[in-house]
Amino acid sequence: MESSISSLIATAEAGDAAAAETLFTELYAELHRMAKRELGRRGVAVSLGVTTLLHEAYLDMAERTGPSFPDEMRFMKYASRVMRGLIIDHARNRQARKRGGQFEITSLRTDAPELAVDDVELTRISEALDELATVDSSLAEVVDLKFFCGFSFAEIAALRSVSERTVQRHWEKARIYLHGSLRGSSLL
Amino acid sequence: MSKLTPERWQSVTPYLDQALDLPDEERGAFLASLRAQDPALADDLQVLLDEHRAVGQERFLEAVPLPPTGHPAAAGLEVGAYRLLSLIGQGGMGTVWLAERSDGRFVRHAAVKFLDVALVGRGEERFKREGSILARLTHPHIAQLLDAGVAATGQPYLVLERVDGDSIDAHCDRQALDVGRRVRLFLDVLTAVAHAHANLVVHRDLKPSNVLVTRDGEVKLLDFGIAKLLEDETGPGAPAPLTREGGGAMTPEYAAPEQLTGGLVSTATDVYALGVLLYVLLTGQHPAGAALRTPAALMKATVETVPPRPSDIVSTPTVEAGAAAANAAKRGATPDRLRRLLAGDLDTIIAKALKKNPAERYASVTAFADDLRRYLRHEPISARPDTLAYRAAKLVRRNRAATALAIVAFVASLGGVVGTSIQARTARAQRDFALRQLARAEAMNDLDKFLLSDAAPSGKPFTVNDLLTSAEQIVARQEDKDDPSRIDVLISIGRQYATQDEDASALRVLTEAYDLSRALRDRSLRAQASCALASEVSRGDDLARAERLFQEGMADLADEPEYGLDRVFCLMRGSEVARNSGNATEGVARTQAGQRELQAAPVRSALLDLRVLMDVAESYRTAGRYREANAAFEEASKELTRLGRDRTQTAGTLYNNWGLVLDLLGRPLDAEPIFRRAIEISRVGDSEAAVSPMLLVNYARVLRGLGRLEAAADYADRGYARAREADAQIVVYQSLLLRSWIYLDRLELGRAAAVLEEVEPILKRRFQPGHVAFAALASYRSRLAQEHGDLETAQRLANEVVSVVEVLRERGAQGGENLPLMLLRRSSVELAAGDPGAAAADAARALTLWQETAPPGMFLSTVGRGYLALGRALAAQGKRDEARAASRSAVEHLRSAVGPDHPDTLAALALAGAGAPS
Repeated sequence: MESSISSLIATAEAGDAAAAETLFTELYAELHRMAKRELGRRGVAVSLGVTTLLHEAYLDMAERTGPSFPDEMRFMKYASRVMRGLIIDHARNRQARKRGGQFEITSLRTDAPELAVDDVELTRISEALDELATVDSSLAEVVDLKFFCGFSFAEIAALRSVSERTVQRHWEKARIYLHGSLRGSSLL
Repeated sequence: MSKLTPERWQSVTPYLDQALDLPDEERGAFLASLRAQDPALADDLQVLLDEHRAVGQERFLEAVPLPPTGHPAAAGLEVGAYRLLSLIGQGGMGTVWLAERSDGRFVRHAAVKFLDVALVGRGEERFKREGSILARLTHPHIAQLLDAGVAATGQPYLVLERVDGDSIDAHCDRQALDVGRRVRLFLDVLTAVAHAHANLVVHRDLKPSNVLVTRDGEVKLLDFGIAKLLEDETGPGAPAPLTREGGGAMTPEYAAPEQLTGGLVSTATDVYALGVLLYVLLTGQHPAGAALRTPAALMKATVETVPPRPSDIVSTPTVEAGAAAANAAKRGATPDRLRRLLAGDLDTIIAKALKKNPAERYASVTAFADDLRRYLRHEPISARPDTLAYRAAKLVRRNRAATALAIVAFVASLGGVVGTSIQARTARAQRDFALRQLARAEAMNDLDKFLLSDAAPSGKPFTVNDLLTSAEQIVARQEDKDDPSRIDVLISIGRQYATQDEDASALRVLTEAYDLSRALRDRSLRAQASCALASEVSRGDDLARAERLFQEGMADLADEPEYGLDRVFCLMRGSEVARNSGNATEGVARTQAGQRELQAAPVRSALLDLRVLMDVAESYRTAGRYREANAAFEEASKELTRLGRDRTQTAGTLYNNWGLVLDLLGRPLDAEPIFRRAIEISRVGDSEAAVSPMLLVNYARVLRGLGRLEAAADYADRGYARAREADAQIVVYQSLLLRSWIYLDRLELGRAAAVLEEVEPILKRRFQPGHVAFAALASYRSRLAQEHGDLETAQRLANEVVSVVEVLRERGAQGGENLPLMLLRRSSVELAAGDPGAAAADAARALTLWQETAPPGMFLSTVGRGYLALGRALAAQGKRDEARAASRSAVEHLRSAVGPDHPDTLAALALAGAGAPS
């Protein structure tokens, strides 16, 4: 399976849309399996664990495949996109559970403020990101890596071999785009 | 939805970049100038800049998709028995909340620390279990761990006693404490760490932010053992991860070299961190100095560069004058005075704590504290300053490859290098396995190292047995019976008992370890348990079972290279089994095989090499190859001193065995001080309760050989008494035989006979006829008969003895090396019986045998006595010149080996002088 991911990445890079679809599905399955196993079934605080998960996933797959496996940067591009999907799915689950009345034994006090970003908003962000990806893919990647996966500017800079300042700039511009898109700007 | 096409974005984006680079007030002008050139583009840019402003105001996307527990929304969250109140702060490992008990039970506030670490591959159960072990660590200077668990959000947390205080360096600076007061405060820290070590908990992450001082000036240590809670399930002592999630990677300012190179983490690691802390407290600077700038440089410096002396850096010209003065002022001194305070003992103490090689540091935190106390009392410290040569060699070359590997991995995770190379990871995995095996081997030594440290953890006198009992109790408290690390520790404890000759306890513990290990699939552990038990069983009677257990262990390991170190262990134990079964040749063969195996191992350890070396020496000794044994012991002794472990129990064992070899070799004068040293080490104050009875008897034997009969008798009696107490049968009969020998020397014939009567049934119960013990008995009886004038009996017994021992010698069995001694016995009888020819022949043969195994150039008591006997026989034959020549050789040997005043030396002198001046 690892070698198929490897060749899928290569083919997807070459522009094969079908390969990109399959790659997404396979990576999703793999990361989902890992996430389930390691992040626990009762919920996840996204600022912890995800970057480790992704690093580990990369190292495991690369080790099993060998030197032909693409480098971490390319892997992260796809994996972080997949992670976005996983997290949104997960957020939907949580929201559904809360609304569906399946309360957990310990719960937040009722006067605590609501979650800052709910699953509906996340889905809209995701759609806007997909669009941004067609306009300027490096900006969309930064959002996946930073917002959804929790990588720091320094880590992203290292993965992509650019300066931190460049990454910060990409983040700025991505936010401009997304904000405009979500708030229904005339242009975006 | 989107009207901005990719093309338009591409056109406007460079202008967006430029605009964002400008400060706010200049953007208007920039827009205006763009509008003049391309109005449509300027419109687009305007919109984008408006969005930018909105993004900043709304803090768009700065929240995370799902609330971590760092989010204020988590206030009120119930975690275990506690309710979160407010966020206290963001630690290196995660967020910390103030909390109170939700059942209203106590008024006390606690701190709940959420760990920002993914439990990748680790179980919740294990985390809770480890946490409950740590919660038992109670000490006034340690922040109490109240609870550990996993929150509903899936995040692991710890509940700690809330401590309100400054980090220790800030506290010292704020109060401008002088050197003496800083050292005293530091000693409080050491008592806390020592307490934790006594409970087998290593901190691993000691640094100022973990050492707080309350407003009352009380020291509180935080986060004990947390690093252990977070390690991989690779077993005890495995390399701990250095990176942390969320807050980015941790800088390794207090990490010990072995933590950076992936080596074994032990109590010595804490000693190192404490050394760095003291360095910082006393000098205001870090030992790595300028290298602190980047993590990579810092790591390299930690592993490779010996730090400058504290006294040197507080007043060197490279430090700005202002900074140096400010530093010194915070310590209540001028730079010059501070330098003088630190120079000498404090320099030496800190240097010892900061040694790159863990084995060269203080063996325990308590030893570290003792030296500091001696410094405060102006007493001489125990640490020795480095020689000029050592200091001159600033680079430690040994671990270059490991350093490079570790730096690549670490820096990569920091993001300084793109990715971790796959090759490095694979190599690391292989090395990790080898290191785990070594860690297991060393874990035995590690427990030993802890147990064998210079002083008692509680400051009271103790015996090793007390410590073993408490270690056993600690292990028994652990709930998971099948935990492999528990079996490891049991094996180590069992072997310690064996070293103490506490065979009953050793057998009990090792049997338990063996039984538990049968359920495991871990071959290395199973083999170790079998072989450890094998050697203990071989001390008893069931030698066949011992051999079977050994073979079982070896079979489990097969020939796979990854079990090399385990094979070394098994072969060493197998060698003991062979020796105890009387097969000395096989004993030597097995230790040699073990040594070869060790030399082929991918990772080496000085301590393990030493252990094996000691076993090798032992096997040579029991094979009667005294020359090789002596060389091996000498090497091992030097190595012990080099490792700074020459006052430990291990050293005591070594000295005992070495002394024995020297005695058997015929150098009693050399053996005596070594035995004395061994006794000194094992003694606790004035009590001999902890001294091995065997050691006392060995010493007695040497004293007898030196003609100090009264002292010899005294020690023989004490050995006998201890042996009876400890039910050490072997030593009981040995002490009795020795006692009778001493009586014979003093011509107290009645007593000698009585003791021989007492010892005979003991021997009959223990040994088969033909065993060398009976030959010894018979030879004493022969002498007894001779003293009574019954030469016929004496001759008959002497003949029997010689033939029995001849057979043993031919078979290479234990005891065969006594043949020359028995020949001398017979020679003595023959001389008295008026057959000097036979006497001369036996004496000559004994002499030849001894000279065969004599190291060249060494003067030996054995050879000396051989010459003496020969000289007497020749004189009786009337061969005066030859007799004188033989006697002169005798004098040479005896004077060196037993001293000029020994009766035998004097007899030889007399014989040599008789008839002609020399």
